[in-house]
Amino acid sequence: MRPITAFAALCGFFLSSSSLVCAQSSFKPPQTFKNVNLVRNINLEKGYARETVNVVVENVDKEPQSTYYLAFPSDVFDKVGGLEVRDRKAPEKGPLAVDALSVDTPSDVQYFAVDLPKPLAPKSQVTLGISYYLLSSLSPRPAAINQADKQYLTYSFSAYTLSAYPTVTQKTKLKLPSTNVPDYTTTSGLKSGSDPERQGTTYTYGPYDTTEVAPGTTYPITVRYEFTKPVITASLLERDLEVSHWGGNLATEERYWLRNNGSTLVNQFSRVEWTLTNFQQLPSSAIRELKYPLKPGSVDPYFIDDIGNVSTSRYRPGKPPKRDGSLELRPRYPVFGGWNYSFRIGWNNELSAFLRRVAGSESYVLKVPFIEGPRMPEGVQYEKVVVRVILPEGARNVRYETIETASNNGLPPADQITFHVSPHKTFMDTLGRTALTLTVENLSDEARDSQLLVTYDYSFWDGMRKPVTITAGLLTAFAAAWAIGNIDVSIKKR
Amino acid sequence: MSLNEVWERASASPYTPLISKDSQFALGFTLLLSAIILTGLFGLNRSFLSIASFGVPASLAFGFGAVYMICAVGVYV
Repeated sequence: MRPITAFAALCGFFLSSSSLVCAQSSFKPPQTFKNVNLVRNINLEKGYARETVNVVVENVDKEPQSTYYLAFPSDVFDKVGGLEVRDRKAPEKGPLAVDALSVDTPSDVQYFAVDLPKPLAPKSQVTLGISYYLLSSLSPRPAAINQADKQYLTYSFSAYTLSAYPTVTQKTKLKLPSTNVPDYTTTSGLKSGSDPERQGTTYTYGPYDTTEVAPGTTYPITVRYEFTKPVITASLLERDLEVSHWGGNLATEERYWLRNNGSTLVNQFSRVEWTLTNFQQLPSSAIRELKYPLKPGSVDPYFIDDIGNVSTSRYRPGKPPKRDGSLELRPRYPVFGGWNYSFRIGWNNELSAFLRRVAGSESYVLKVPFIEGPRMPEGVQYEKVVVRVILPEGARNVRYETIETASNNGLPPADQITFHVSPHKTFMDTLGRTALTLTVENLSDEARDSQLLVTYDYSFWDGMRKPVTITAGLLTAFAAAWAIGNIDVSIKKR
Repeated sequence: MSLNEVWERASASPYTPLISKDSQFALGFTLLLSAIILTGLFGLNRSFLSIASFGVPASLAFGFGAVYMICAVGVYV
């Protein structure tokens, strides 16, 4: 049983989201486990940090235990995205249930509770694979550079992985995007020999024997490395998917509010210098172009910003059924560090590739990508994503599901996706269409391949609502013309 | 049954609309044109019989024609 007080239970009662469990700030996980061996891989090749922790966990209690707590520093806790925990020996069984524990007052460490598939017997072990990414975790140093300068990012972490439990041995592997690493912390006294060990772009801190080190002990490490690419961040992405049964069409529109989190410019922007950089195809910290793969068969793409149509885009349609189309978008101006750019893009697809009718009923099942977004080597991070699936007018019994794959699909656990169904009124609507809105925070382009399934009921007469309404309207006009025409308004003796 | 199983089971019945995208404009245009002609014929003789013989078909043609025409011009309703 999870040691949450009566206060926490009361908090849970008032919260609508099942994913959020309240705990007091003084909450400390019971010391029922130990980490026998822990290997952390930190990948900094993209504009956000991706971490994978493989840990062998042993139950040191006398009772079987089923809840393992993951600790994160409080300043990082809200930036964790796509958290997934799997049993490494049975990854095909899917991810384990994870709950975020919120606290009422600030504390240094916050926890996620992982429910093991079956209680772990005393002295037995399980290997957990924990993967997640941390948004806005990389900061540019220097914070301001010249336009054609190289950009450097720093990442800070602890040599001792933060855990709620004692750890016997641990090590951290760091994968950097380049060999140009001007600064990195070298540890002293943590192990014999040089630390870190360097091999190409990989730095290994440890292995450390941390049996005597208390859980929560930190040893700060900072690396500064070259990353002359933009740090693309979408503060908001709104994605609309509109299903039209009459038109046989799936219309997609995405609205982006982009920002470059890289180094800002010291001086004013120079168009001449930018033209030179572009001509020589030198790497730049600015967003120059976004490459956007579209599903095969996508047609009618558009790219609009606040001013109007942006003509600097190119579309190469893919060849159905296999080859993706490619939409290449050049923003109206290069987006340097600290600059913003907001725009909208949209396109159409044949509905038959995404919608199927359930045999023998009036139910339909829709399968669409949860997010698409640009595919960039430097990655894209999304602080908030609002996906709205606009179903036809009269659709009922809406249910949805995200598909879990054999590896991390980049999405958070299903109960951390908030949803609501509301009417959406637009052209030719009488009641309004049924719109399913899903909101997720902290996503990255790792979730590009994730799929969303939606089922709904929609009868023949629901479909007839539009033409019948218009028909009735015109017929009323005819009847009125006839009735008014029959009124005798002549001036004569009666 | 998970929704993915529902999707897999329905693999034999992808949704195809009654009228394909390519024919929407032709059909919408024809229906709207006939709606206008029938309305004109109704206007020549506004009797109750005309409502039945011209008004009803004109209304139906306009109802369906408008839906197909708005789809044909890219506003998929």
